[in-house]
This record gives sequence, C-alpha cells and structure tokens, in this order.
Amino acid sequence: MTTQPVGLSIDLAPQQVMRAIDGQYDMAVWRSTSGVVSAWENRCPHRGMRLSYGFVRGESLACAYHGWHYSCEGYCHYIPAHPELTPPKTVRPVLYSVVEQSGLIWVNTEQDAMPVALPDDLQPVRSLVIECDLATAVQALDTRQPHGGVESLSDTPKIITFETGGISQGAVVAIQQSQPNRLIVHMLVQSAVTAKDKIALSRLIESVRRQAESACNEAT
Amino acid sequence: MSFTLHNYVLSGNCYKIRLMASLLNVTYESIAVDFHPGQEHKSEPLLQLNPAGTLPVLTTTDGTVLTETQAMLVWLAQQHDPSNSWWPVHSKPQITRVVQWLGFASRLTATVGELRLHSMLNKPVNVTAVKTGAKVVLRELESHLTEQRINNLQWLTGDTPTVADIACFPYTALSPDAGIEHDDYPAIRRWLHRLRSLPGFITMPGIYELHELRKPDGYTVSDATL
Amino acid sequence: MNGIEHALEYWYPIAMHNELSNGQTRRARLLEKELLLSGGANDSLTVTCNERPLALQSAFDHWWVTLSENPLPLFTIPEADEAERRFVPCGVVRVACSPLRAVENFLDIAHFPFVHTDVLGAEPHTEVYKYDVKIDESKDEVIASNIRFYQPQAAKSAEGGIETEYIYRVPAPMVAILYKTCPQKADAMDVIALFVQPLDEQTCDVWPWMALYDDTSTMADLIQFQQLIFLQDRSILENQIPRKLPLDPGLEIPTRADLTSISYRRWLKKRGAYYGALENC
Ligand SMILES: N[C@H](CCC(=O)N[C@@H](CS)C(=O)NCC(=O)O)C(=O)O
Ligand code: FES
Repeated sequence: MTTQPVGLSIDLAPQQVMRAIDGQYDMAVWRSTSGVVSAWENRCPHRGMRLSYGFVRGESLACAYHGWHYSCEGYCHYIPAHPELTPPKTVRPVLYSVVEQSGLIWVNTEQDAMPVALPDDLQPVRSLVIECDLATAVQALDTRQPHGGVESLSDTPKIITFETGGISQGAVVAIQQSQPNRLIVHMLVQSAVTAKDKIALSRLIESVRRQAESACNEAT
Repeated sequence: MSFTLHNYVLSGNCYKIRLMASLLNVTYESIAVDFHPGQEHKSEPLLQLNPAGTLPVLTTTDGTVLTETQAMLVWLAQQHDPSNSWWPVHSKPQITRVVQWLGFASRLTATVGELRLHSMLNKPVNVTAVKTGAKVVLRELESHLTEQRINNLQWLTGDTPTVADIACFPYTALSPDAGIEHDDYPAIRRWLHRLRSLPGFITMPGIYELHELRKPDGYTVSDATL
Repeated sequence: MNGIEHALEYWYPIAMHNELSNGQTRRARLLEKELLLSGGANDSLTVTCNERPLALQSAFDHWWVTLSENPLPLFTIPEADEAERRFVPCGVVRVACSPLRAVENFLDIAHFPFVHTDVLGAEPHTEVYKYDVKIDESKDEVIASNIRFYQPQAAKSAEGGIETEYIYRVPAPMVAILYKTCPQKADAMDVIALFVQPLDEQTCDVWPWMALYDDTSTMADLIQFQQLIFLQDRSILENQIPRKLPLDPGLEIPTRADLTSISYRRWLKKRGAYYGALENC
C-alpha cells in the first residue's frame, strides 16, 4: 500500500473539511481550528452520513445530520440530542494515517503514511483532476518536456522541467491515483517562482489534461 | 419595501436576488409563485408580467419590471450600495470583468441549473449535454479562482466581492443537488466557504449555513475568528 | 431475492389528481417496472404496465396504483375527511436514496437543529426528551407519541418559537404520517404525510401531502414551506452510506432519540419488508 498525496495543504484551511477517495476508501479529511489534519472513514457511525459534509468546531468535527461531535482522536464526545450523555468509546469512525509534508497532505489507508522526501521551501500551484488512466496521463506529460522520461512518475513525485510558451520551469508533480480513471495531479514549485510563471504552469497542466482526456476518449 | 419579487424557494436564480438583498440589508415584498407542481410561472397572469415565463421577476415601485437576474443584481447594487463596491462603477477594468462573469453565470444556469432541475424535479433535459457542459463551466471557474489565488485575490474580479460573485454562487454551490460534488474543485470550495461567511449571508435548501460560526449556546461568532 | 415480492403487495402514489389532462400521457417507474399514465375525461386516469391495465384508487389528492392482483388494503387517514382542513399536495421530488431511508428521516427529530436550522429547530434546543413508541397491534402500525421539541418556526403560520408536540404513524413501509401542534388551532393537530414511490431500491419519488388548519397562507406559500423543508433533507438523504437501509443493528449506532427508527427497522424486518434494505431476506 503506497502513501498517496490527497491534496495541497493550502486547499485545506483551518475549519475546513474535504473528501478524498483512494480506490475503495472514501475519506473525510479535515483540519481543526488549531491546524491538526485528520483523515477518517467518510461515514458517521450514527446513521451513515458522509462526514465530509460535516463542520469543524474548535478541535472537533461535527456531523451535518445530527451534529454528533468527534475529537481529533476520533472519539464521539458530544451527542446534541442527549447533551448529558457520555458516549461510549466505541462510537468512532475508522482513522487513517495522515502526515503533512512539503505542502502536501499524505494519507495511507492501511499502514503508517510515509511521504516521499521532496525539497523544502515548495509553494503550491494547484491540484487538478484528470479523468484518464495513469499511462495516458504520463504520456501526455512526457510530450511537454524536452528531455523526456517521466515513466517512473507513477511511483514517486518527480521534479520535471517543463519548457513551453517561453517558460523553462522545474515543477514538482505528484500524481494521486484516486480511482482507475481519476487521477489528481498536485503541482508545486520552488518558492522563487513568480506568480506569472505559476499561472503559466497552471495553464500548461490544463493543456496536458485536455490532451490526456481526449487521447483517453479516443481510445474508448 | 423597495421592490416586489415573484419568488420560488427552490430556484437558484430567485435565491441570487434574496441573497443580494440580504447582504445589502434591503427589505422587499416576496410573492410565492407555485413553480412546482403548479407551473404557475407559465400561467397567463405571470406571462403578462414576464412573457419569457421564467422566475424571478422584480418589480420596482416606479413600475420597472426586470426579468433577468443579472440586471436585478445591478439594480440592487446601484440603489442600495452607497460604497459602490458590489457594482464597482469607479473602476473601468473591474467593471468589464464583472460583466464578463455576469455573462458566465447564465452558462451555469443553462448547465448545472438544468441538470439540477432534472435530478430533483425530473425536468426533461439532454442529460449528456448538460452534464458535459456543467463540467466545462465548473472547470473554467476553478481555473480562474486558482489564478486569482495565485495573485492573492480572494474574489472573482478582485479583492472585494461584487455582483459577479453573487451571480455565480448559487448554481455552483447547488451542484451537489445535481449529483456533481465539489471534490474536484478546491479553489471553488474555498470561494464558496468565503462567500458563506459574509455578514448577512442567508441559506436556501441545498446550501447550508456555516454551523461552525454558531456556538453550541446559539450565539453567532463574528467572522473575525475565521 | 430482495423483498420485491413483499413490496408488490402495497399501493403506491403515482400522480396527483388533475395532473394529466384528457389525452395527456406520461411515463413513470415503480419497483423497477415501466408504467404508462394516460389522462382521460373528467379527471380520470389509466395506468398500464406492458399494456396491462393496473388497479387504481384515489385517496389524499393522489392516484394510488398497485402491481398486485391481490393487494393489501390502502391505509386510512381519518383527518382527510375533515372538510375544514386545507389539503395540500406538494408535488413530487426525486431523491437518489432508498425509499426506506426517506421514510426513516421523516421520523427523526434530532436532525432539526442542524438540517432545518432556525425553522424546525435551533441550537441550543437540541435535546430529545424521552418519548413512547409502540406497535399498534390492531392496525399493525408503528406509532411514536409524546414527542416534544422546541421549534423556531413550526409552520408557515407560526409566529415565533413554540414547543411543538409530535405523533408519528408508519402505516406501510413506504408511508409516514405525522401529527403536530397546529399554531393556529390549539385543540387540533396538523397532518403532514410522506408518500414514497419506489422507482428501485436506491431511487425514489417522494410526494409530500398536508392537511392543515391555516386560512391565512396562500397555497403557493404552504407548498413552498414544505418544499423548503424536504429539499433540506434531500441533501442528507443522498449522502447516507450505504444507500440501502441497514436493518440489523451493528452497522449503525442508535441512541434513545432513535427509538422510532429502531422500531421501524424491527417492524420492517418482522414483516419481510426488505426492499430498499441492506440485508436480503
Ligand atoms: N431570466 C433568466 C433565466 C431565469 C431562469 O432560468 N429561471 C428558471 C427558474 S430557476 C425558470 O423560471 N425556468 C422556467 C423555464 O425556463 O421555463 C435569468 O434571470 O437569469
Ligand atoms: S448521522 Fe452523523 S450524527 Fe447522525
């Protein structure tokens, strides 16, 4: 089981909840008011509501349906319908291992999350969903860099140098294989890069997406 | 009462006007129209008011009848926003961008809005076409908001919200009603959350209030804590 | 087998009265079968499945259809005969959820402060006090009573918050009826029902219906108040996992506030009403 990058840290501000999908695993990923990130099974133990629809109060995630509050350790500590009740310790969704490093949120649903080592001092460009298979996406990426050779992208994030439209820019590209035909490309750059070049990279990755998705559609 | 609104509770376009009025703290008279199941917007009295047979319809005290929501938003801002920030008349470049996004809002209605009416009320539509169209517009919006973030700008056309943000908000926020989750759109999620935090924000079915802003004792926390 | 045989025994709502004019037709789905509805003269209706005409009856401003040759009798709502009430059919809303989840949500009060905020509930008034649930043996219905809950705006006609009393009835697996304090008439209760048309195990069309004492609100106002509430529920219903309702305790954890839901699930299981449930019978 590999550790997957599920999002850019910047896209999960304090008091925000998002959903991440890793194959069969549907997760609610949330950040507490003080900044702690957690990744849980996306199902409230009470009546099955997706916790990614929930809201954050202080250091708790509350379910959107009946407002049950869960602490960062996953334990339910407040049931609004029974304010005096101390809920049993068994009321707890499944917790997954999550680590924040290099501006990315990394999750492992089966063992301890082990992020890939990346340079310090990275800044986010964006995360972008591409609806195609990995091989097609890697091929499309390959056509955008003069020196080729991104085949191993599937295993680890890579620093690749794009050279297009007047920019020559190294960017970190980490691909999350969310589902067989749903990839999420997380892109970061070294901090000296200007806003203008970040925008150029954002547009470039969109262009890669158009290429990859149309190749994928032609194949089917 | 500054105007009368022919209104339907589940309409994202009617909600645009209710929301703008609430953000500007304007009161008005609301007349409920039985859009579903009654199809009252296609009845003779309503067609006399708006031959297009759409909602909302805004009538001002001087007898002006507006049937396009983007015009209603501009009218509201002109009448009730002395700061001129929601309809930024003093900045020519910004107002051009505002008009660009007002136009874009109609594409959201035509795609996400139609798909939502199909999913909820079984309205006959070309499902494949509106689904594809919805993805195209949401991706455009996502990319634009990403670039705004890179430029340190929080809103669609600059560093303050305008009528353009209100015009694009409802159907973007309501896309889960149509089966399109916000999972794939992180920049949109941040923008929606920011808009829902504005003082005077109101909800509609499918768009919840930010319970995080309430304390369990029922008092609302000011947005300074965000 | 998924309990479809059992589900076939019942009557289901398929259209509102006067919905189809003479000569007008519409397709519909019920329990995975395709139906054709045709309006006739004098507000009549015929419904066919593979050209076979189906038995129909009219009740509570709706047409009810059955696919069975020998169906169970349709339940009754005595208040439907009280002429002073306003009868409000609210149209139909499609929901991507199990028909049983739609009914169960209707029986739930603990969600009011979070899903119907400032209308049917508001923090800090979240506590669900002890109430009674029983199976009425003579009618074979689930009945919950003695329920009290503080509501900021209990009905269209309510002015300000009131403590509302509720009674719930489940007369058939896909029908729920509630009685609640009527803000305009102290000695009477408003009636609100949810009639569910199962398209398949994970999709349903829901027809809310009301019988109220309210002589101030317009019809459009009453319908929109109900639609406001139900469409808030819809976003929840489409996001419950799994889509089908688990009947066996174990997968989901109830509390005392969920007594009605617990009894409903047991009652479904006992009668073999597994259509839309997670378990097979
Ligand atoms: N007039 C346009 C369209 C408004 C619109 O599409 N309204 C919908 C309700 S959300 C409607 O009335 N649809 C009925 C129809 O198109 O027949 C606007 O103001 O943007
Ligand atoms: S389903 Fe989460 S609190 Fe009830």
